[in-house]
Amino acid sequence: MSAQTDPAQRVAIGISFGNSYSSIAFTSSEGKAEVIANEDGDRQIPSVLSYVEGEELHGGQAKSQLVRNAKNTVAYFRDFLGQDFKSIDPTPAHQSAHPVESESTVAFKIRDSEAEEENAVTVGDITTRHLRRLRSSASDYLGKDVNAAVVTVPTNFSESQKEALKSAAKEAGIEVLQFINEPTAAVLAYDARPDAQLTDKTLVVADLGGTRSDVTVIASRGGIYTMLAAVHDFDVSGSKLDQVLIDYFAKEFIKKHKAAGDPRENERSLAKLKLECESVKKALSIGQSANFSVESLAGGVDFTATINRTRYDLLGNKLFAAFTRLVSHAVEKAELDPLDISEIILAGGNSHTPKVAAAVGAAFPETTAVLAPSTSPTAINPSELAVRGAAIQASLIQEFEAEDIEQSLHPMVTVTPHLSTAVGVLLISGDESNGVFHAIVDAETPLPVRRTATITTPREGGDVLIKLVEGSRHIKVTKPEPKPKAEKADDDSEDESEDEEEEEELREKTWKIGSAVSETALRGIKKGAKVEVQINIANDLSVTALFREIGGKGGVRGQVQGKAS
Amino acid sequence: PVLPEGWAGEKDFKPVGSLSKTNDRKIEPVGPHFLAYARRVRHKRTFSEDERI
Repeated sequence: MSAQTDPAQRVAIGISFGNSYSSIAFTSSEGKAEVIANEDGDRQIPSVLSYVEGEELHGGQAKSQLVRNAKNTVAYFRDFLGQDFKSIDPTPAHQSAHPVESESTVAFKIRDSEAEEENAVTVGDITTRHLRRLRSSASDYLGKDVNAAVVTVPTNFSESQKEALKSAAKEAGIEVLQFINEPTAAVLAYDARPDAQLTDKTLVVADLGGTRSDVTVIASRGGIYTMLAAVHDFDVSGSKLDQVLIDYFAKEFIKKHKAAGDPRENERSLAKLKLECESVKKALSIGQSANFSVESLAGGVDFTATINRTRYDLLGNKLFAAFTRLVSHAVEKAELDPLDISEIILAGGNSHTPKVAAAVGAAFPETTAVLAPSTSPTAINPSELAVRGAAIQASLIQEFEAEDIEQSLHPMVTVTPHLSTAVGVLLISGDESNGVFHAIVDAETPLPVRRTATITTPREGGDVLIKLVEGSRHIKVTKPEPKPKAEKADDDSEDESEDEEEEEELREKTWKIGSAVSETALRGIKKGAKVEVQINIANDLSVTALFREIGGKGGVRGQVQGKAS
Repeated sequence: PVLPEGWAGEKDFKPVGSLSKTNDRKIEPVGPHFLAYARRVRHKRTFSEDERI
């Protein structure tokens, strides 16, 4: 633990380290997170390293080496870190240096020096070199030596992967203050905006990355986040969207230049196609059409073509639908309904695609806000969400002692009881059967909690009864009146089933009132007065409630003991 | 709701039940509100004690 820097000397940044891209950000003195561009001017820095005659290339420069120097170029290595060789999926690395087994870890055989020989460089060393370059870019920009960082990781990153990343970072001169989950970082990036309002809400973070997609359902209660469910998919990804374009342009090429052959069958041609298709995809997120052009694509033939967004949306349809299914699946896994979700945060580079936002939004009610550049003017750049969150967290904890951070991350602190039902008051009637439930504390709120709400009282005033009850959310499905069906012959039963699907169900959120917790009498309330209710729920489930007429004095205070557990 | 006739409770408050069981979940150790929460837990303070400082 001697490598720890004195907290006063720390210069901490946020790092998002991805398979495809990494980024770095810092928090300015005004408390605003800003993403740092490297010396090439890239804010999204490709996680690629390449060696030419002993010289190390990094980021965008290394990425372009995938065409002529693929064997000495390392890419898509993040998920290999801290893994057993047998458990990795080397598919994404097929077009670059292949991973090989090396003792207990994964290595790459590359020519990284001027000598004519290949060295086995472990994935840990590759990560160190990558992080060192990121660190020096950040140091150059800030004019200060960066020595600490908060790093984002996927939610299913194991302890051994984190350990490996931590020691690789240490080698690069970076003290990892904390690992934070990518989706939580995205939520934090939104909540840290000065105009953001903290409300209790349930949201979905859908991260569509280059080689994988992660969807997470998060309950945000008073600025504290709890992950309810997460799904990961390595088949639905941005590289599959690239593939759709690769196939399209390859076919167009073959149509025009039969003799030149299929560019997908030649490694170098395929690498060229791949790079160009990714930039075409990016261009289609901004403009309505994009140009594709590669010099000497295959057989020495140049190829140029254009594609418009409608065509691309059509080609990628299956993948967009698959992504929507993934999001719906995550909501299901959290045992929630789309109606429970108030916001969807789209993260990851592919969330720039307008069709992605449209497809995901279509699976949710109109009340659900989709935060993506094409659907919301206030959306943050989806590629920058994780790194911004990391930078904010870094600025919050950089003055803490390492021991303090460690203690705060302990399960004693982070594991806490969460309410299984919502707690609120009954309005209109004291009777469970026809009262209206007004939720004050939502389900899945971590304890202890304190919430205040204002409720209305009967118009005539006088003495009122306030009943504190539990409520659980139900989805009420109202089927429209079945249309009188025309008699149909047996053979077109297929049409019939389609008709049935078209009948739209009407779904709404209702509250089912559970057991009562307490009853309170407020006497002599003025006409049309409002009552302020404040409830405190402690970890042992004891409830302290305070009921007070607004503008009145006194009020009633009471306590309900929690069940001994 | 209107207070029914003959309702009585000590100091006008009557506990009638308790909350149902909770689920233990892990909260994400991120953001200013978590840090405030962690500070309270580690020093075993309540909300109001924390506010006084």
